[in-house]
Amino acid sequence: MGTIRTSDRGRAGARDIAVWDPLVRMVHWGLALSVLVNGALTDEDGIVHEWVGYAALGLLAIRLLWGIVGPRPARFASFPPSPGAAVRHLGGIAGGDRTVHLSHNPLGALMVYNIWLTVAALCATGIMMGSLRFFGVDWVEEAHEAAFSWLMISVVLHVGGVLFDSRRSGVPLARAMLTGRKSVPADRPVV
Amino acid sequence: MTGRDPQARRAATLAALIVAQGLCAMFFVGDVIADIGVDVAESRFHLPLEAFVATVMIFGVIYFMIELRRLLSRMAEMDTGLRAARGDMAGVIERFFDDWELTPAERDVALMVLKGIDNETIAAVRGTAPGTVRAQCTRIYGKAGVDGRAQLLSVFMEELLAED
Repeated sequence: MGTIRTSDRGRAGARDIAVWDPLVRMVHWGLALSVLVNGALTDEDGIVHEWVGYAALGLLAIRLLWGIVGPRPARFASFPPSPGAAVRHLGGIAGGDRTVHLSHNPLGALMVYNIWLTVAALCATGIMMGSLRFFGVDWVEEAHEAAFSWLMISVVLHVGGVLFDSRRSGVPLARAMLTGRKSVPADRPVV
Repeated sequence: MTGRDPQARRAATLAALIVAQGLCAMFFVGDVIADIGVDVAESRFHLPLEAFVATVMIFGVIYFMIELRRLLSRMAEMDTGLRAARGDMAGVIERFFDDWELTPAERDVALMVLKGIDNETIAAVRGTAPGTVRAQCTRIYGKAGVDGRAQLLSVFMEELLAED
């Protein structure tokens, strides 16, 4: 991973750098799909809703393991949660810095951890709601609803951030999550 | 792009297996959680068995993950090797061109000849007459001491295949 090849068919002067391995991509789109399915399609009290919830938890668990054993760009060490770095990154954006980050940029990293935590909270409260001990307990249900609302806000911010950073850095980020390769314009510094 | 080469396909297959097996493991873990506290007669063996299956599957997932990481780093190494070879080849070509004292225009034409582009296209790309390109080629072959296109190529092929 992290290897560079000059793109033959891509835009002229762009370097194609492999960043997202297939497992990262499958987990990403699988999680997105399960959020979509459970948020919009399934019956909230149904068994399918529960299964999809467990699937989301499974995907999350896979990703967390992969964050330890996976290749460099997938590892937690490549995108530590650092509010300080995120603030500096914001300052850099304001100052016209167009550095390209090969893994998540510091703001994106915060969003990643935020979404993982929120999904974990959703799964935990969801499992509790189905358990005998917490069945029908109000605060659990309220926490589940609140976590879902927060997840929707996060998804909007996430998609907005991806669109914004694709324009700012000139790297089509959504495509990178599909193909695994970031196509970085030749004149951009890379971190 | 995952289907680009066999190794990329293998990596994608491994990743899909990891996801599938991870989800199956999750199913068993979920069942274990659901069964805890439920007092069924069969649960005395049911629960430990499920817990065992879940554990085995999780170890399988970790094993596959380590395999996938190995495969990915091998792919990255090969990519780097190829790039290095390409970089070396470019250097070799430059050195020969220097030796033959080609002019900048001749270097341009020679490089295109090496890439297998025909004279008409070279003329069109460079915005010159085909006759000019033919004359440049003749000078290039003369400086290189070869008879034509094929022999010019063979100079570099020999460099690639040489064992020393």
